[in-house]
Amino acid sequence: MTMSVFSRGFHGIRQGVAALLLLFAATLSVTAQQESPATRQMLSKAITAEGDDQISAVTALANTHSDLVRRVLTAWPLDEVFIIDAADGSKVPCMLEDAQDADGKQKAVRIDTGGFLNDASGKPQAFFANDLTSVDTDMRLRRAIQDTLDLMALSDPSADARKSAVKKIGMLQKLSYVPVLQARLTQETDGDVRTAIAQAVATMQLKDPNPAVQIAAIQKLGEISSMDCRDVIQTVITNPKSSGDEVAAAKKALALIDAHIARVNFFGTIFRGLSYGSILLVVAIGLAITFGLMGVINMAHGELIAVGAYTCYVVENIFGSGLPLSPFGFSMRLPGLNFSGWMFQTYFLFAIPLAFLMSALVGIVLEVCVIRFLYRRPLESLLATWGVSLILQQLFHLVFGAANVQVNSPVWLSGNFTVHDVTLGYNRLFVIAFAALIVFATWLLLTKTPLGLLIRAVMQNRNMAACMGVRTERVNMLTFAFGSGLAGLAGAFLSQIGNVGPSLGQNYIVDCFMTVVVGGVGNLFGTVYSALGIGVVDEILQQVFGSPVVGKITILVCIIVFLQWRPSGLFATKGRGLEG
Amino acid sequence: MKREFSLLEWLTVLVLAVIAIVIVPCLNAFTPETSALHISDFTVNLWGKYFCYGTVAVTVDLLWGYTGLLSLGQRLFFALGGYMMGMYLMRMIGSLGQYHQPIPDFLVFLGWTRLPTFWQPFSSFPFAMLMVIALPGLLSFVFGFLAFRSRIRGVYFSILTQALTYAATLLFFRNNILMGGNNGFTDFKYILGYDLRHAATQRGLYIASAVFLLIVYLGCKRLTQTKLGKVQRAIRDSENRVLFSGYAAANFKLFIFVFASAVAGIAGALYVPQVGIINPSEMDTVTSLETVVWVAVGGRGTLVGPIIGAIFVNALKSWATRAYPDYWPIILGGMFLLVVLFLPRGLVGLAEHCVNIFKKMRKAPQEPQPAPAPDAEPAAVNHAPAK
Repeated sequence: MTMSVFSRGFHGIRQGVAALLLLFAATLSVTAQQESPATRQMLSKAITAEGDDQISAVTALANTHSDLVRRVLTAWPLDEVFIIDAADGSKVPCMLEDAQDADGKQKAVRIDTGGFLNDASGKPQAFFANDLTSVDTDMRLRRAIQDTLDLMALSDPSADARKSAVKKIGMLQKLSYVPVLQARLTQETDGDVRTAIAQAVATMQLKDPNPAVQIAAIQKLGEISSMDCRDVIQTVITNPKSSGDEVAAAKKALALIDAHIARVNFFGTIFRGLSYGSILLVVAIGLAITFGLMGVINMAHGELIAVGAYTCYVVENIFGSGLPLSPFGFSMRLPGLNFSGWMFQTYFLFAIPLAFLMSALVGIVLEVCVIRFLYRRPLESLLATWGVSLILQQLFHLVFGAANVQVNSPVWLSGNFTVHDVTLGYNRLFVIAFAALIVFATWLLLTKTPLGLLIRAVMQNRNMAACMGVRTERVNMLTFAFGSGLAGLAGAFLSQIGNVGPSLGQNYIVDCFMTVVVGGVGNLFGTVYSALGIGVVDEILQQVFGSPVVGKITILVCIIVFLQWRPSGLFATKGRGLEG
Repeated sequence: MKREFSLLEWLTVLVLAVIAIVIVPCLNAFTPETSALHISDFTVNLWGKYFCYGTVAVTVDLLWGYTGLLSLGQRLFFALGGYMMGMYLMRMIGSLGQYHQPIPDFLVFLGWTRLPTFWQPFSSFPFAMLMVIALPGLLSFVFGFLAFRSRIRGVYFSILTQALTYAATLLFFRNNILMGGNNGFTDFKYILGYDLRHAATQRGLYIASAVFLLIVYLGCKRLTQTKLGKVQRAIRDSENRVLFSGYAAANFKLFIFVFASAVAGIAGALYVPQVGIINPSEMDTVTSLETVVWVAVGGRGTLVGPIIGAIFVNALKSWATRAYPDYWPIILGGMFLLVVLFLPRGLVGLAEHCVNIFKKMRKAPQEPQPAPAPDAEPAAVNHAPAK
């Protein structure tokens, strides 16, 4: 599992590097002037022409597949293409160079030749952008430019760009584009784009005067079950001009699409539920150890999570440009390593163990100073740790400020991919994988290591273990440190999902306790089931009620009722003790 | 545990009651503002709030100190009582709101043109007062019935009450339950025809709070001395033995829980017209925990303790949030930590301890005992395993 996580990481880095190279190449090509003179002529004619001529000239540019055309057409509606009176009196379409000279003037590049616009003496002329008249655009022209750009994007090297261009064109529902798209279909190799083209063609054919073609198109859309086409098909049904056959076909297609949407929503909900459940699991597993195994109610567990999250934040800033802090009125600055690129992206790999260690350290201090004295008084450990939680929250407040801080996810954790219209975010997948890893590691530690043996012995019968020579105090300390460290890991993950603030832990503490109580105290796998169960049910309820708050309230009520039926949780540890 | 009211205790209570209920309002009303004896409206209002806090703290102690049920949701019932009172006060605004409509402003803002059905009876004061007791009572009855029936106890009970409070807070933050949402109720004008902005009305509310606290104090004192009070403490000390002796522990617990909630509801109803606002942050889980702090600091298992604790911590808070706003949570948390670790019986316990030391010191010269000093110093260590 670790391997896959890492390889995805490196894959992501490679992608990042590749993207950088591409960007670099693109910058170079701006200065390269390899456009054919014919294209340049067409372009300058399109710019100088008027009225319908201009529109047809612009539309004709779609076949050039030239990078220059793309740049000029993009710049045009932004008022960055100018007509300048040249020294010889002719009007020359120009764009300004990016570089400015000392006065803030920019040299003009002739669109018709690619060279600089020279003055009478043959030197390049420089202008203030504000002094020049840009080429006017009206609504129709802008639309034509946009359509042309979209058509050109059909041959874009990036599959995603091609796909979105295809979708855009399809939505225009212009029959004249059908041959263009069909021609593209013969060259297209990417499966997703081919589906998109088929869908776009079918969408356009809805406007076809021939009813047979139309019905075929509707059926095709139903087969593809694309969610984008739902509205289009809806209009066929509501359109009074549609014939009976068309409406029937459209209804059938609509039913198919709705079924597809329901499926997508269902799997999307399950996925979100699993990922929320995994977050709960990561957050609650530390508590399952301190509360479930040790019987200590640690209300400061949420703050241990925040320690982990802030550790992540600090590590990120140290890898970056440093972090100014002003705790208690002193102003200080953590120096930064000023890494960039993939070096910076690896910060998270360092942050994870550090988050564990920092939280474990805080946990040890907490155990030694407070909890050690309260093992036999669980209610009071609840209150004392609440005091600690208040203090820690305020310390975060004083050190890192009251505002939430943002931790930038590494590139390889942001982004997502889509399977059959279900969007899977990398960070959520990562949380699921990591939750599994943590549970596995915890299970290994508890059952396969000498420390785990000692932990279980102390938890089952402290006095007996002490009689056998187990140093129970040390075992307690280590167990508590381990539980706290797991909270720190949870914090590291929460920092990737949302913002980090002093009250980060407070948002999770109630859910945490619920998860552990429902799972059954003292049973790690109960926690796993209950976390995933609560996560999925929570997402489903949110879908049903359409509101996260109502969903949450319902789930809390459900839990209270559930405990009627199973007072000691899903997996109760069976014992003969009366006081349990 | 059978401690009758001694004469000294009666006298102290009487003197304090007379000062709080008679002398303070008189000093507020009849002395000129320049006089050294004058007590300002602000102070009266502040102490009115403290008395409400004291009352809710007594109910927490009744549950925690006497029955062993640490409820982390007592302020929920307090706030519910406050909300019921708030609904009545909102109706009494009449058309004086910003929109000059016969219905509360926030409803106008939400697009309502007439009063929702469940708001209608709240124009009546007796109905509102009934709801002040009934709603917290009903909620605690349902919750308590479910919880005690399935023998949820100890920390599980605490966690569940906290979850209940959390759920309720989330619910009250919503606009579409028509309870004012985030902003709650405010801008109250009249209560029973009296103007809330008048010093005399506030004085009346102050006296009502003080009298109510006195009643609750004396009532609880009596309650804890009855047989029921004994069963209560027996449940705290060993619930299983109580069960085996044939008592239905769940019913006793349920009674105490509902009683405490209803009293907390009334305290909340007295509190709201004095502070002039009620919103969901009042029932936040943190406020309930803070209330538990008051009890712990004052001394649980005694009835004066919570009152002293509530007044002491809140007075400290009033001062600290002005003097050291940044450090107040640290002071509160630290104080709590120290009290739990070293003073399990709070300020009252500390006072008793000091009295004991003082008595021993006086005895010491007569009977040569081992020096009393070591006893005084490691107080924490001695007390910790006592429970």
